[in-house]
Amino acid sequence: MVLHCYFHSLGHSRSKELKGNPITFYADIVNAMLIRATGQNLQMEYTRSLKLLDHVKLSEKPGKIIPSGDIAALVYLWNPFTIVACVGLSTSPIENLAIILSLYGACKRQAPLAAFGWVIATHLSLYPAILIIPMILLLGYGTDTPPRKLFLQRRNVEVGDNPPNDRCCEREEVVHRSEVPHVFSWRPVIHFFCWTSLWSVYVLVLCGISVKQYGGLWELFKRTYGFMLTVQDLSPNIGVLWYFFAEVFDFFRNFFLIVFHGNILFMMLPLAIRLKHRPCFLAFVYIAISSMLKSYPSVGDSALYLGLLGLFVNELADMQFSFFLFCGYVGVSLLSPVMHNLWIWRGTGNANFYFATAMAYACLQIILVVESVSAMLNHDRKLRKPLTELQDGKN
Amino acid sequence: MAESEAEVPKAKPRPIVRLGIFLISHSCLFSVICCTAGVLTLLLLPVLAKNTYISENALMPGSANPMFSSQEVSEANRLVKSLTSLDSKPVGSGIESQRLIAEYMSDLGAEISYHKFYPRSNQFHPLHFFSYPDSGSTRENVSCISHGLNTVGIIRAPRGDGKEAIVLVTPYNSLKVGPGEALSLGIAYSVFSLLTQVTWLAKDIIWLVADSRYGEYAAVNAWLRDYHMPVFSGLSALKAEICPVSNVHNELKENSVTERKINDGFRRAGTMATALVIKVTDGSEHFEDSLSIYAEASNGQMPNLDLINIVNYLAVHRQGLRVKVEKMRSLINCKWLKILGEILQSLGHVAKSLNPQWKFGIPAKDYVEGAATLASSLYYQALGVPTGPHGAFRDYEIDAITMEISSRVALNNKARKNDFLLRGGRLIEGVIRTVNNLLEKFHQSFFLYLLTSPSKFVSVGVYMIAFALLVASLPVVAASLYADAHKVDPSFGIDKSTPQASATDELSITPRSCKWLNAAKKVFLVHLWGAVVSFLPYFICQIPSCTPTTSFVVWVLLSSFSLPILSLILGSSFSYGRPSQPQKRDWTLLKSVTISAAFIGLCLMSVINFATAEIGALLMVPMCLMAQPLKLDIRSRKLRKFLRVACNLALGFLGFPPAGFFVLKGAFEGFGGITVGDFWSWLESIWSWSSATYLYIAGWFERTRS
Repeated sequence: MVLHCYFHSLGHSRSKELKGNPITFYADIVNAMLIRATGQNLQMEYTRSLKLLDHVKLSEKPGKIIPSGDIAALVYLWNPFTIVACVGLSTSPIENLAIILSLYGACKRQAPLAAFGWVIATHLSLYPAILIIPMILLLGYGTDTPPRKLFLQRRNVEVGDNPPNDRCCEREEVVHRSEVPHVFSWRPVIHFFCWTSLWSVYVLVLCGISVKQYGGLWELFKRTYGFMLTVQDLSPNIGVLWYFFAEVFDFFRNFFLIVFHGNILFMMLPLAIRLKHRPCFLAFVYIAISSMLKSYPSVGDSALYLGLLGLFVNELADMQFSFFLFCGYVGVSLLSPVMHNLWIWRGTGNANFYFATAMAYACLQIILVVESVSAMLNHDRKLRKPLTELQDGKN
Repeated sequence: MAESEAEVPKAKPRPIVRLGIFLISHSCLFSVICCTAGVLTLLLLPVLAKNTYISENALMPGSANPMFSSQEVSEANRLVKSLTSLDSKPVGSGIESQRLIAEYMSDLGAEISYHKFYPRSNQFHPLHFFSYPDSGSTRENVSCISHGLNTVGIIRAPRGDGKEAIVLVTPYNSLKVGPGEALSLGIAYSVFSLLTQVTWLAKDIIWLVADSRYGEYAAVNAWLRDYHMPVFSGLSALKAEICPVSNVHNELKENSVTERKINDGFRRAGTMATALVIKVTDGSEHFEDSLSIYAEASNGQMPNLDLINIVNYLAVHRQGLRVKVEKMRSLINCKWLKILGEILQSLGHVAKSLNPQWKFGIPAKDYVEGAATLASSLYYQALGVPTGPHGAFRDYEIDAITMEISSRVALNNKARKNDFLLRGGRLIEGVIRTVNNLLEKFHQSFFLYLLTSPSKFVSVGVYMIAFALLVASLPVVAASLYADAHKVDPSFGIDKSTPQASATDELSITPRSCKWLNAAKKVFLVHLWGAVVSFLPYFICQIPSCTPTTSFVVWVLLSSFSLPILSLILGSSFSYGRPSQPQKRDWTLLKSVTISAAFIGLCLMSVINFATAEIGALLMVPMCLMAQPLKLDIRSRKLRKFLRVACNLALGFLGFPPAGFFVLKGAFEGFGGITVGDFWSWLESIWSWSSATYLYIAGWFERTRS
């Protein structure tokens, strides 16, 4: 499989060397490898938790669990969005690299790495700052597992089932051992915060030195983060904000800026509460939402979350509308360059043509997020079903 | 997921979901209704056409009295006479006539420059659509011996700032000036001479005398390319190196004493607001002097409707010319169209008797004429080949039309000729004066429209209805097929749980909802093959010294070989023939994926070039809906099935010849460089190939079963 991966990445490279800039290309390769490692980690955890829950039916068959890491890496590498972003020499592969690095570090519970990734990602594109919640959850609870309640339930079933003897103690021990990572452990989180402050001070000092003669740090913040937050550049992109802020009256501008950015923040807390047992998936949802609502989105962001979507291929196997979404993505990604051409080059269309595809794209992303979250919750429910049946049978 | 789907109707879902389920469950009926409605709406389009109106207020056509008088006519006659006298001389008239025109121009006080160009065979470029018109200007194919020479005269507007211009184009063959060409030059010259005197001019006037020795389009296109792509000294020196004997300019300059203003440099006059191509043809008309308007540019683009409107308005209301647009002659005498027109007329009468407010009935004759015009409009837009030199302008976002003025009788009579020149000149003057009023580019009126007569049009909002109705059945059928495939699933799922089945069945690994991935892979492969096949001519025409026949043979061979190679590379499972049970489901999934791919493609195409999409939809929609695996049908010996097989084969056959035809045309375009190596051939072939996809898939099923 590794060879397979490399073969594909080599095939990938050929198209890249034409343009001659290797940095984004290598960033993509590293991204894919990190996604793969993360996926293997997640999958190990998944199999383990299935075993603990005695889902023999699900966990026994070798073919049943798909190697999600490989799939995700392949999806990331072969995604036309990735290729386009890379060929177009966009900086998004590097931003993606920082985000994936932080996720990987958090999955491996290496606080310094996670902190480094997070700080760099935030520094590069600001929006990954919201990933701090999944980071904390990942470091605190460990990687994605079914809800904690299930393990407790399972344990209850076990206890009620077996008369007290030696074997029971053994079982209980197993269950206890399994539950150790599910208790929130503060140590790595505190580590993470220490490292975060260290790295951010480091980055700030470096930035301060390099921009000293151009007006200092404050100017840097104003020119970079300020530029992102107060959507100043209204040139068309695949997002919806440029059109909106081109149309909106100037005295409402600040209000709507707050609304749009607040929108991302509002969604954070409820999602974090509902999906706290699956921090990686939570990170995926956050990335998808921010790539939908960020001020200057690019296809590279979509490439990232579509790649991460591949990590949950086992859990999301029963996702609804997958075919519809696929067709929609294909259609929109073909239609939007054509609309852009009609508007800019041929002069027969107007901005509404292009904006229509941007809206369709945003709708597709919304459907994708909603459907994937509901599929994930359904999956958890399905895991609970046999347990409750078992319990009912006992009672 | 199948279970959850089954539960949905029980749970009383929202009305819109219920409507969706209803549509999906009656998809067969729905698709038939939609297709018929689509075809009917297409036939109704001439009735739904609206009258044109001038939507830009700044234009104010015909608000000023024409200043064009008999004095200008005599000027025109002078030029025509000297041109015809020049033509009687045997040799060297190519340069002579140009010098003559340049002399006349410089007498008027215009700036003159010559533009030398080399005709180059147009390359078939696959990504022509997305590139800027001539970004990939390859200058290898320049042959030094043959070149054309355009003469360009520019009047600077007294009130302008040199930022905008109006272009007059008169194509003529410098080797042999025909009488019509001489007259068109005369009209342009007289208008030009008038414009040097007027005070109202706010835009510069460029008069391009295009040397149509190598085709009208090539000359205009070459000039436009050089106009928009500034050539710096380095490159021109390079050019001079390539062609050492390029001293035409010097030759021309030495010989004439009066030409003080001629300079080597390329003269420019800002962005072009409009271009008018003027042509004169000799009297074959029966009734009166008439004006034909040609507007279709490359790839089905049209100039702004306002331009056609003002020409039409001025010609009809000021000069009393009869305005025509292209018609499909064969349709006018069509029996069934006449009958349809009668029916519609009577329907209109009935409606009017019911309510006098309803006025949608039009006379049968009008209907037939409108339908013929509409058909030709659709045809030329779908073909994507420009109908004249105006097509070159549209690539640079300049609205342009060709005005072909033709007289009633042969112009031997002097008074008759003067009258003709006067009317033509006044028309041109009026159009220029109107466009001169324009403050911005043309943007107010429609760009996407179909003409049913010079004064009637169908706008995009109306003709899209016909198309939408036609293709609406595709997503519904795709959804119902998809749902069907999942309904078959539960029984299959039970099979799967038995150990033997799970051991043998490789497919059971993939989760249920992702089964379509396999089908998508197949469809993707076939489409990729189609793309490869349609890209091949580009590479084949790079091979030197190839006759069209051999290159065509090479092309056929390569394309047939490329499919196995592709399937080998992608490791697709094309050859696995598995026993019957899952095959039916596979087939439905495959059909569903293909139909959705066709739907996306057609929608995309309708945005790029509506006419092509409409014609493609007429061919492909029935094909997509009817397609069935041949082998399954043949095995079950029933009359109905046989009928269906026959229908499929007929449709497949119908769908295939256009494929061959279009691709052949595209290939020849690439080889011979007859017209623009345009994007259309690429798209055409892509889409005709994806229709061939169907035939292919049916054939594949046959093969796997046998």
